[in-house]
Amino acid sequence: MTPGVLAGYVAVPVFGALMFAAPAITRPTLQFGVRIPPAQARAAVIRRERRAYYWRSAAVAVCGAAAAIIFWGAGSRWLPRAILLLEIAADAGCIWLARRKVIAAKTAEGWFAGVRPTVVADTSWRTQPQPFPVRWLIPAISVIAATIIIGAIRYPHLPAHLAIGLATLRARRVPRSPVSAFALVIAQLFVTGMWTGLLVLIYRSRPDIDPADPAATLRGYRRLLDSFTKAALTLVALVDLTFGLAACQVWQLYHLHGTSAALPLLPAAAGVLILIAVAMRAGRNRIRPASGQRPGPAVAAGPDDDRFWKAGLIYVNRADPAIVVPVRIGVGWTLNLGNPAAWLIIGVVIATVAGLAVIRIAAGM
Amino acid sequence: MLLSIEPDGPVPIYQQIRDRIVEAIAGGELPAGSHLPATRQLAVDLGINFHTVNKAYDLLRHEGLLRIGRKSGAVVARDAASGPPRPGWEQDWAGRLRTLLAEAAAQGLPADDVLRHCQAALAGFAFPVAPVAPAEGGAAAGARS
Repeated sequence: MTPGVLAGYVAVPVFGALMFAAPAITRPTLQFGVRIPPAQARAAVIRRERRAYYWRSAAVAVCGAAAAIIFWGAGSRWLPRAILLLEIAADAGCIWLARRKVIAAKTAEGWFAGVRPTVVADTSWRTQPQPFPVRWLIPAISVIAATIIIGAIRYPHLPAHLAIGLATLRARRVPRSPVSAFALVIAQLFVTGMWTGLLVLIYRSRPDIDPADPAATLRGYRRLLDSFTKAALTLVALVDLTFGLAACQVWQLYHLHGTSAALPLLPAAAGVLILIAVAMRAGRNRIRPASGQRPGPAVAAGPDDDRFWKAGLIYVNRADPAIVVPVRIGVGWTLNLGNPAAWLIIGVVIATVAGLAVIRIAAGM
Repeated sequence: MLLSIEPDGPVPIYQQIRDRIVEAIAGGELPAGSHLPATRQLAVDLGINFHTVNKAYDLLRHEGLLRIGRKSGAVVARDAASGPPRPGWEQDWAGRLRTLLAEAAAQGLPADDVLRHCQAALAGFAFPVAPVAPAEGGAAAGARS
């Protein structure tokens, strides 16, 4: 089993657990991606559908984990991906079932009747912006710099053919060239640049403010953004470290055999776990003030904008100038696909990936 | 400053933005020299067209409450401590106040209640409220109108 297949199997139970926990870190006024007034956050249908979702998603997670264990020995790299895809589809189905029931109750009982849809903005968000934690980029930049220095020292001593691959047992042999020798450095630069760019975009995006309790939700959002960005930049540094360790193997500084070939993947795996833990904790803390209080009268609620959220997951609103918006289920951000700038960003990412692929092919990799 | 608007409300959105900013200036939340977000940024935060924010800012600029510069952006131009209003402003304002008070009278709201609402609103603003006797206040309002 290659480390890539191993990572695929590990992703199955991790994703199952995340989907199971998603409602616990979602705002009470956004149940399964459906906007509801604060007074209905504890409605009977919400409680019932949350319970049902927990049972269904737990069953999906257990089935996925069981499949991963059963097929653990099979070497196919497509098998863990197929299991993961099935798990994603099943979890999407669980959300769809709960969402359908909540929308039906919301429509039938007229939850938004008598509620004033309100939008709240904090002007200080723009006039006194939260500073981007630039210092947390230092580890990633240091790792890249160290990798480049080691590569520059090793390059003249490398053989005519290099065994390249990211911690794989069966590495391919390609002719030595600056591109083939420094392919993993290019990967480091791409990951660091892309992630930093996306995080800056998130920092400048619209904050997630609940009109029912604007001050508390904004405080929670500031904390979440700060801790999430620091964890994401830590992940970037650890992914760069994984690439750096793999590059050192390509440059014949060490050689690992058997299962130990997966060792360079450990920093990246640790980074993913750190990011998940931080996002879960920050997401839980964000909704704690609201959940600790008794729901008040339905005087203010966000606008009933469910029609812009396809399946509660994809945001398409041509009238909204925002490019990046907070997601409705769990913790994270998504692009407003109704904004041409969002498609430009997607295009730039795809073009960069395609450009790197062309460089790889041109270098005989 | 938390700026809240009701997108589906009867008052136009640009007017709501203008009103909230005027209230924040009067309440001392936005003193003279305070910066406001750029029109595009505020439009993103409110999920509305930036022309709507532009219209609100333009209105505030015409009223002398906002100064808009290329480098400085939108800055609050004056507040309660900046001295008396420009000549002629008080007459315009008194005309609008008369209409507002007329609405209360037409709806049958007693003069005492009207004054109570006025005093409650004034108590939240940055300048000191002079004690007003109900009968004299009513007469004054009538005389001014």
